[in-house]
Amino acid sequence: MKNYILFVSEAFWNTLKGLWVTLKVLFLPAITVQYPTEKLVPYPRFRGMLAYDAEACIACGMCVRACPSKCIALAKAMPVPQQELCSSSGQPVSPEGKRVPKIEWYTIDYGRCNFCGLCEEACPTKTKALWHSLDFEAVFSTREEMTRRWKRGDDLWGTARRSADGQFSAVADQIHIQDVPVRK
Amino acid sequence: MEETIQPKFSEPVFNRSHGRLLMPENRYWPTRMWKNPWSLPTYRRGAAVLAGLLSGAAGAAWLLGEIGPRVAPLYSMAEQYALSYGIPLFLVQTAWTVIKAAVLLAVPLVNALFAVWWERKISAHMQSRMGPMYVGRWHGALQTIADGIKLFLKEDLVPESADKIVHLLAPVAVIIPAILVFAPIPFGRELVYADLDIGTVYVFAVGGVSVMGIIMAGWASGNKFSLLGGLRSAAQLVSYELPRTFSVIPVIMLAGTLNLSAIAGLQAGYWGGVLPRWFIFYPVVGQVAFVVFLIASVAETNRIPFDIPEAESELVAGFNTEYSGMKFALFFLSEFAYVLLSCLLMAAFFFGGGEPPLPFLGFLPSWAWFLGKTLVLMFCFLWFRWTFPRFRVDRLMDFNWKFLLPVSLLNIAAAGVLIWFLDCWAAGLLGG
Repeated sequence: MKNYILFVSEAFWNTLKGLWVTLKVLFLPAITVQYPTEKLVPYPRFRGMLAYDAEACIACGMCVRACPSKCIALAKAMPVPQQELCSSSGQPVSPEGKRVPKIEWYTIDYGRCNFCGLCEEACPTKTKALWHSLDFEAVFSTREEMTRRWKRGDDLWGTARRSADGQFSAVADQIHIQDVPVRK
Repeated sequence: MEETIQPKFSEPVFNRSHGRLLMPENRYWPTRMWKNPWSLPTYRRGAAVLAGLLSGAAGAAWLLGEIGPRVAPLYSMAEQYALSYGIPLFLVQTAWTVIKAAVLLAVPLVNALFAVWWERKISAHMQSRMGPMYVGRWHGALQTIADGIKLFLKEDLVPESADKIVHLLAPVAVIIPAILVFAPIPFGRELVYADLDIGTVYVFAVGGVSVMGIIMAGWASGNKFSLLGGLRSAAQLVSYELPRTFSVIPVIMLAGTLNLSAIAGLQAGYWGGVLPRWFIFYPVVGQVAFVVFLIASVAETNRIPFDIPEAESELVAGFNTEYSGMKFALFFLSEFAYVLLSCLLMAAFFFGGGEPPLPFLGFLPSWAWFLGKTLVLMFCFLWFRWTFPRFRVDRLMDFNWKFLLPVSLLNIAAAGVLIWFLDCWAAGLLGG
């Protein structure tokens, strides 16, 4: 009889403890992030989509060698004629006095990229020409779109081949968390 | 010469007008957020909205005032109007009854609309989620209507092996008692469809008929899981009907009547001007009777932790398995109707019906208090559902026959002692 009463009172107490937990959580704020209208900005060391600056790149090919999955390819630009060289910084300079990229084209195949960050580590320029942004919202609908291509004058997100007409165009339908462009 | 290269980002496409970015320093993280929830502006706003809703509802109830006493003059007015035009009286009476029945029929429907949404919101917030947020703009307020339309448009499947007629009749056999049972329930002072003198017996008798429909559903589906669910349901409902009825007997002994509105009305007044004379405040007997009735009611309505008849993880969905569309909606409707019924009964038996908990709160009408108590009790049902895991079948029966039934029987004896004690006290035999 004593055991029975002890058992019942213990069960009753544990029941109340369980009810207290759910009641407490009920009045605490929900942790849901309402994704399309609210977005988490990742921490600065997050390795998101690769951003590439065609003007900072010196076309040394370190990233191509560093890439373990061999998804990066690039072509150097044709050598600039001697008389157009500006001697002050050693960079090729156009007649308007701007730097001229040394790159002809640069591609990253996201179908093979494993976001390891070795290409960013290997990049020797002082401001990195290639770095992981915080963008986690890339969308690909075909395999061809997964290859991003950069040429002179392209923005940091590059261009992709549209499957409709086979032409390269800027990645437009991608939403970027780009307010925090971490660049080392 | 060092030239600075500005990164040329394209304009952010993210819609700044109605969206926001959560930066790492103020990102959502429960351990940080839950330390001081009042520092969050959204939390403060939510609390303000809740307080505003509550006070707005109270104000509306205060403006509306008592409904019950206004109904009878309305009827006599209609009667006189009809007599002046020479319309026979029985027609007026029939129309009046039909109108009252239609209002009564709306009770389980509106209740299901609200209760399903409420359950989803409560369950979500108990799990730190948000639940429906889009339909109806404000916190998914119209989610249940969208669900209802979906159920209405769904294909009505009848399995090949089913007994077609019984399969069709089962949801009807479940829903009809669930609507009929509301007849003697008082929704406030003088706000009752049929003021039966045997209201308590009527409620338990008619409510018990729904078991038939559930067994029919289990049998007619031609599915072993459905049949198991139906049989479990029969076993469970019949066993839990006993402690549920026995736990009400002390209340009936103390009140001396079976009329539900009379039982609710007897609990008016206060001990020492503070403690209301509700039956739950009668020492020991009231509390034990309430707890037993609450547990047995949760079991009667097939809700977690007593939902073995429709246990999703072991019986697929029990007797619900082979039902879709409106037939399933009827089962759903009857389940929520029985939840509402249990809460109304508890409010009438143990919480004084429409009586305010403190004397100065009497400015709110009785139906508002009845509704408020019912909603609080209904919250308890949801609270249990999202806190406890399901019983095992044998433990369920153990709990009923080895705990609830003896306790409720002992409680009847204790109620007898209490009544003897109160009589002696009233006669001045105790303590002069």
